Amino acid sequence: MGGFFFLRSESGSVSAAAISLEGVSKRYGSKTIVHDLSFTVRPGEIVGFLGPNGAGKTTTMRMISGYTTPSAGRLRVAGFDMVKDNEKAARKLGYLPEQPPLYDMLEVAQYLRFVAKVKSVPQGEVKAEIDRVTQACRLEDVHRKEIYKLSKGYRQRLGLAQALLGKPEVLLLDEPTAGLDPGQIQETREVIRAFGEKHAVLLSTHILPEVTMICARVAIINHGRLLAIDSPQALQRAAEQPNVTLTTDAPADALRAELQAINGVSEVVTRPAGNDTNLLAVDCGVDSRAGIEASIARVVASRWNLYRLERRQPTLESIFLRYVQAAGTTS
Amino acid sequence: MNGMLAVYQKELLSYFRSPIAYFVVAVFLIGAGYFFLYNVLIIGSAVMDETFQSMAILLITLLPLVSMRLFSGEYSARTMELLATLPLKPWQVVLGKYLGAVTILLLMLLATTVNLIPLYLYSEPQTLNIASGYLGFLLLGMACLAVGQFCSALTENQIVAALITMAVLLAFWFVGHLQQFQTASGGREFVRYVAFQPQFADFIRGLVRSEAVSMFAIVSAIALTLNASYLQWRR
Repeated sequence: MGGFFFLRSESGSVSAAAISLEGVSKRYGSKTIVHDLSFTVRPGEIVGFLGPNGAGKTTTMRMISGYTTPSAGRLRVAGFDMVKDNEKAARKLGYLPEQPPLYDMLEVAQYLRFVAKVKSVPQGEVKAEIDRVTQACRLEDVHRKEIYKLSKGYRQRLGLAQALLGKPEVLLLDEPTAGLDPGQIQETREVIRAFGEKHAVLLSTHILPEVTMICARVAIINHGRLLAIDSPQALQRAAEQPNVTLTTDAPADALRAELQAINGVSEVVTRPAGNDTNLLAVDCGVDSRAGIEASIARVVASRWNLYRLERRQPTLESIFLRYVQAAGTTS
Repeated sequence: MNGMLAVYQKELLSYFRSPIAYFVVAVFLIGAGYFFLYNVLIIGSAVMDETFQSMAILLITLLPLVSMRLFSGEYSARTMELLATLPLKPWQVVLGKYLGAVTILLLMLLATTVNLIPLYLYSEPQTLNIASGYLGFLLLGMACLAVGQFCSALTENQIVAALITMAVLLAFWFVGHLQQFQTASGGREFVRYVAFQPQFADFIRGLVRSEAVSMFAIVSAIALTLNASYLQWRR
């Protein structure tokens, strides 16, 4: 619990992180969907929640939102216990479920007014507040339209607008960019990023680049267990050794001997580069010391022609797959 | 209070934006008009007993259509996830929805009062009997809606909700016949007390008995309490 810090909020309640889970589990009958999950999300932090389908992401989101109650463990939102202090916790929370919860028969403005009223937005501020989220989510064009007439992209953004109403301290988003076109994805990410500067956001997704772009930390879960939680960069560093690839016209045996003599190169794999039989593609496993690419380049270029040299970092995708597959084989 | 009011307004908006409310009100008006014409023009009676009796059966077959969407609709549209995570207590959701449905019931009853105009123009009906008859309708309807709303919370399928409600309400209506088969006086008393039909019959005879009023109120209160507890338990 090294990163745990306590704030005394204005209401007088002792609050830790904006979202905190301590040993949270969920069982349905004899089946355990979520096992002993513990992590925190701090104010001003966007945390990505990653996992394959059926990993327990949605169940976890539903527990944090208060829609379902954990079978065991403690769950707090903005310092309030989600089970015992449900109403207070719910006031601090904006939630976009996997499927946007919309009343098809209502108009967009009527729907937003309903949510604003339930969230106790003061009477005089309702209009301004609705205008704010309408603008942020680019819903001006459909303000007076019935919801059943909206396209999937608009429905998704209306779901997000609903979650942003009433300036919640914590935002829970279950796949917020699903069904959007690339332009809308960009805009939605901006909205989330701007919100996440001051508030806490937990964002479940399986679009990996999205996580690298906007999330400060990533939590990976599979089979209802937390496999890792850290910044994308730290996960990349810890995941596997970096790799240098190069293309040259050197003979394989001589090259391998030269490369393995370099301090820091652990493993050399050679294969023909594409259709050109004269060229050789080489993968070198290296350690993380700086300047190792330069040493390799110097050695190769002093005797042969070097056509290409590149240092590769493991992608989040490969890290994710590694964690998920490793967990799959052990469970 | 605010939350309950917001739910109430949302329910009313939803009713008038879907065809169901119009359909139910229209069918009830046509039926009531028909029973009324038959009674007044063919039988030649200015006493509303027969008309009210038939209208009550029509009412308990139509009200399940009003109540069926209250929760089933929320489940199937996945909006329950919103209602359950907004800062609302279960009783606020239950009462907001219930009052919305009761408003539709009031509109249905109010609309049938046009039938009374010719009655008052061409005869001298017993106003108190008619007033107590309408009070009976209101209490009966409120009990039906509370039962229907609870049944609606039990299933995601609106049709199933309506069918269960109809079965339960018809059972309440006709259970009075079982009185003759009960040998124990306790059983007989109980069946007599919960049977809708004889209790309602008192109202159309002009009798507002506290026993009948309390029975309808207790049935409503039990159904609404079960409804709120069920929502709480469902989490």
